[in-house]
Amino acid sequence: MAPQKDLKSILSKLQYPDDAQVMKQIVDQTIQVKTRMGRIRQKIVVMSGKGGVGKSMTTINLALAFARQGLRVGILDVDLNGPCIPLMLGMKGQQFEFTKEGAIPPVGPLGIKVASMEFFLKPDSPVRWKGSMELSPVWLGMMEMSVIREFLGDIVWGELDLLLADLPPGAAADKPPAIIGFIPELDGAVVVTTPSEVSADVVKKSLVYARDVGFHVLGVVENMSGFLCPECKTESPLFEGNIEELCKKTGVTLLGKIPFNQKLAAACDKGVPLQDESEPIVQRFQNITRKISDQLNIQVKASSKAISASPPL
Amino acid sequence: MKFVCMKCESFMLFQKVEKPGEDSLGVMFECPKCGGRFSMVTNPGETQLVNALGVKIGGRTDTPAPFELTRGTLKESVSAQPQPAEAAKSEAGSCPFSSMLAGMGSGEAQKPLNWTSEALDRMEKIPDFIRPMVKSGVEAYARNKGFQVVTPAVIEESKGDNGGMNWSPGAQQRLNNIPEFIRPMAKLEIERLAREKGVETVDEVIMDESKGKFGQFMTM
Repeated sequence: MAPQKDLKSILSKLQYPDDAQVMKQIVDQTIQVKTRMGRIRQKIVVMSGKGGVGKSMTTINLALAFARQGLRVGILDVDLNGPCIPLMLGMKGQQFEFTKEGAIPPVGPLGIKVASMEFFLKPDSPVRWKGSMELSPVWLGMMEMSVIREFLGDIVWGELDLLLADLPPGAAADKPPAIIGFIPELDGAVVVTTPSEVSADVVKKSLVYARDVGFHVLGVVENMSGFLCPECKTESPLFEGNIEELCKKTGVTLLGKIPFNQKLAAACDKGVPLQDESEPIVQRFQNITRKISDQLNIQVKASSKAISASPPL
Repeated sequence: MKFVCMKCESFMLFQKVEKPGEDSLGVMFECPKCGGRFSMVTNPGETQLVNALGVKIGGRTDTPAPFELTRGTLKESVSAQPQPAEAAKSEAGSCPFSSMLAGMGSGEAQKPLNWTSEALDRMEKIPDFIRPMVKSGVEAYARNKGFQVVTPAVIEESKGDNGGMNWSPGAQQRLNNIPEFIRPMAKLEIERLAREKGVETVDEVIMDESKGKFGQFMTM
């Protein structure tokens, strides 16, 4: 038997065959995301540094408002661990249809296509991954980003005029900025906050971060801007913060104010979204979509009623 | 990652990925020159790390199914999909060797062979822990010979297949002394050892060496 050579001299004669093609697999994944997203005309994320400020509620009502204007709209519920879009749209219990071409999303009110982690889960089941993924935040983070990549790359949206992505809470250098980086040719972000000084403080960090990384913020939606007493019809503030001032300081447009509305809250909880355009609260969302449309030059397809700048509640 | 056969001075080629245990992967490589094979078995942590990237070890031979990672990794899902390695596992018995061999071919697109009911009945008589390995051997023989259907005659014929390896009468006699249920696996291992040695005939020298390696489990 010939004497064995050292590894270095053996390798110098061999050509490395990259049959695992890890980089190619990752590039293929990226291309797939780009191809899918490329068929969608406009892509907007709805985000906030703070949790519980009404991102999902804002997302569905903006989607409904755009759909009423004749746009083909999709909602991507990227809040993997707290998906609530299907419940709010009365779509709980629905599932994806899996085909060779990809996953076909369920269709909700006004033809809105919805993709959500909820469609994978059994009733009342939380998101839990196999193995010891839950023990390591590093692995969990990688896993969740790969799942989000599948949400972006594996869904057959068809032709969409607008995709609204409802992001999980998080501010600078957190998951939302990473997700934003995942979405090719993103048109901008709608930032939701309450007037609360705590929320405004966190949201301000998001706005500064977005400005620093050159990411376009379409504007801020102030949710829970006040409370209209159903008995005496008096409007009272819920918080003492000043979002208008925040917008001025950061140079961001205030897209609109959404007061707390019991009817709207009940509609979201019951999964029967408000669609009556004569409802003042619905008109508020219509106005916000007009401001977004103006910025993005979105062509409204169907004529909708002329709405006053600030409808009474 | 690559492995080099130091004897042949050649890169070992990736063959397939198997799932020998829960949360673990067995990645099998073979030297294209001497036919020597080995399986690198990952621990659960490494496997999960690769899974989390959504990358398939060894490269993709198929188009990924939609939400392959999500559906395959969620603990409880309304739309879980069986994984190829899990499908292989379901055919495996309790023997770790048979479990590994049951997965052979799972990473490659091979047209499944048809089995007659008589041939399947014959397989049922084999202890379950060795059945996947015997089935794999019979199918490999049938494919090699171009059979489309596995019949009892093909099973019988495959018993005499030496895969191009000759056996001396003395070595054959000692092979016959090995209990029947473990004989096919022992035969494969002995022939693999012979190929590693670069010989074309299994003789008593090879049998002695084989005994030194795994003969403690056999009377040979």
